[in-house]
Amino acid sequence: MIGNLLTIDLTRQITGVRTLDPQLFRDFVGGASLAAKLLYESLTPDLDPLSPDNPLLFLTGPLTGSSGPAVGRYVVCAKSPLTHIWAESNCGGFFGPEIRFAGYDGILFTGRASSPVYVWINNETVELRDASHLWGGDTYETQARIKSEVNEPLARVACIGVAGERLIPFALILNDHGRVAGRTGMGAVMGSKNIKAIAVRGGSPLEFADPTFNQKRSRANLDLRNDNVSQVLREMGSSGASDYFNYLGEMPVRYFSRSGFENIDKVSGATMAETILSGVSTCHACVIACGRKVILPDGDYKRGESKGPEYETIVGFGPNLEISDLAAITHLGQLCDSLGADSISMSGTIGLAFMMYQEGVITTKDTDGLELKWGDVHAVEKLIHLAVKREGFGELLARGSKALAKHFGAEEMAVQVNGLEVAYHDPRGATGMGLVYAASPRGACHNQSDYFMVEIGNSMSEIGVEMVDRAASEGKALSVSRHQWWRTLNNSLVMCVFANVPFNTARELINAATGFDYSAEEFLRCGERGWALKRAINNRLGITAKNDTLPRALLTPLSEGGAAGVVINLQTMLKEYYEVQGWDAATGKPTRSTLERLGLKDIWITTPSS
Amino acid sequence: MSIPFPSDAWIKALQNVLNTDDEYGKIASNWEGDLMFVVEAEGARTRPIYMYMDLWHGKCRDARQVADADEKKAAFLLAAPYAVFQKIVQGKLDPMQAMMTRQLKVTGNMIYMMRNVPTVLRFVKCTEKIDSEFAA
Repeated sequence: MIGNLLTIDLTRQITGVRTLDPQLFRDFVGGASLAAKLLYESLTPDLDPLSPDNPLLFLTGPLTGSSGPAVGRYVVCAKSPLTHIWAESNCGGFFGPEIRFAGYDGILFTGRASSPVYVWINNETVELRDASHLWGGDTYETQARIKSEVNEPLARVACIGVAGERLIPFALILNDHGRVAGRTGMGAVMGSKNIKAIAVRGGSPLEFADPTFNQKRSRANLDLRNDNVSQVLREMGSSGASDYFNYLGEMPVRYFSRSGFENIDKVSGATMAETILSGVSTCHACVIACGRKVILPDGDYKRGESKGPEYETIVGFGPNLEISDLAAITHLGQLCDSLGADSISMSGTIGLAFMMYQEGVITTKDTDGLELKWGDVHAVEKLIHLAVKREGFGELLARGSKALAKHFGAEEMAVQVNGLEVAYHDPRGATGMGLVYAASPRGACHNQSDYFMVEIGNSMSEIGVEMVDRAASEGKALSVSRHQWWRTLNNSLVMCVFANVPFNTARELINAATGFDYSAEEFLRCGERGWALKRAINNRLGITAKNDTLPRALLTPLSEGGAAGVVINLQTMLKEYYEVQGWDAATGKPTRSTLERLGLKDIWITTPSS
Repeated sequence: MSIPFPSDAWIKALQNVLNTDDEYGKIASNWEGDLMFVVEAEGARTRPIYMYMDLWHGKCRDARQVADADEKKAAFLLAAPYAVFQKIVQGKLDPMQAMMTRQLKVTGNMIYMMRNVPTVLRFVKCTEKIDSEFAA
């Protein structure tokens, strides 16, 4: 770790550097868990997420920028304007490492600028610059203009699009070649502070405690490069396993009402690789290169080389809406990225609108005359524009699926947990994901634990996470918990969850970087500590055991496909889960003894008693 | 009578199973590609053992033990220690798990492989039908 947190008070236009106690890194590692510790006191129930009082924290991890395996990432944290609970969203590219090269572990924004600004961080020099002329610009154009203005082509720029400016609660932050902090609306928080962008350029080399760190990370990278999963990701991107997920019934179709997409051959990662793929892209020093570059040579969506969609975008705008045109899906994904809206929440909310239309809950009178028929690309495109403009029916879409359903008295139809749209891994195809979604600290998130990968074979014996029957509900809680703690560590390091890096390899690297000499037990406990802390924050913000639930659609067995007939017994899983986590089953809060065991005694003092 | 694994007799037995398994024939009807099993040298096994299979449209056209990987250039190479193959053939280790946990190394066109996972899974299921003999 570096130990420097850059602080920027936007209201008073004052910048400073806060020194972080090394013990904080020892206890929380970095990234999202450290952010939870630093923000805990500020995240109160009455805090308006879009007010100047909501702190916005960009944090890296102790391995960010080290050229270690898939660690070129940062995380953004605050109170979410979408879910009103804990928010974290991490992102690859080159922006995170550049923060470290500039001499900081992170940037804490407080207050609100009186007019649009962008922040220019050139090592120790920090400037707030007028961004009025950039307001309204898309996320790619904004990056190019700022690099030109600061006369530094190698600057790295993280920015918002129109969605963030218009405070859409699922607005994203984008940097580099389409890498996004997509979930939980951190772009809206940035927009609420009148920050259009942050540009960073650094020149300081990183230092590591162990002089053999570079040898260790080289070996880890070589192993990762030769890994089978890496090979799939490199050749086909994150949708490389989409054929398999579809076969298993793990990929949702028609807004989670069906399974087994008949046109998967037209939209899979394999098809992309064989048709429109023109190249690959990487995050900082990553040996996987899962990023896609595509060219759409002709047709309605003709364009030169641009970002190709990743798995979630493909399924969200593909099978979820029964669209089988990969070029159209690419176009819709690009539209979301350039406007600055999270493609999962956008496609999920549009999927809900289509389902409500199908079921007669809404009609053309509600949709500004639009007919919402599955597979209609033009209707989807129109809805994206309406949502980002917040016009007519779009104003309802812009609030996310929970609010949309509530508006029409159809709350049970929304496939969301605690306000966050469910990611496109159907828990009926891998039931452990049901528990993951129900108990995730940021709503229905697949990055707090991609347990579906364990259920199809990616076991981790080092931490006692073995392959399990993907249709069963009983006996999974300990395994799910341990996997969540591991992924909490990933989100602290900040390490990409696509990287199939063994637990002990990550531990050896963090030890070599920091000199902490974590034992395996202590390292995993850091993950558990972060997990419990985020839970305590959410408890403080009103989350109880009653919130640990799943939407009706996911509790309804599928009648077809590879997961037909599977019933998720969530109550059984939760009962086991609370016991494993040391949470009170009645309230859903970590018990006093759990918090004390994890060294979070101080948290207990400010957490309402259970 | 049990058939020792790995051996020429064993791979020919698998050929026979594949050619008589209706489900494999149906699922693999579009599969075009040969593969090579590499049982890696380990401990007392000082040399790797290679077994070749030519798989074409739901049938196995050729199967035999070969001297080395260069004798037949296969589209896919599946390499693992003896104990890993044993667990897979006995149905004790899921092949996808073996692949994702680095126990089984796969070399070849991953795009083709990922498009045809059901074929791969049925293929492995067929190996369980052989009365295989393993070293103690």
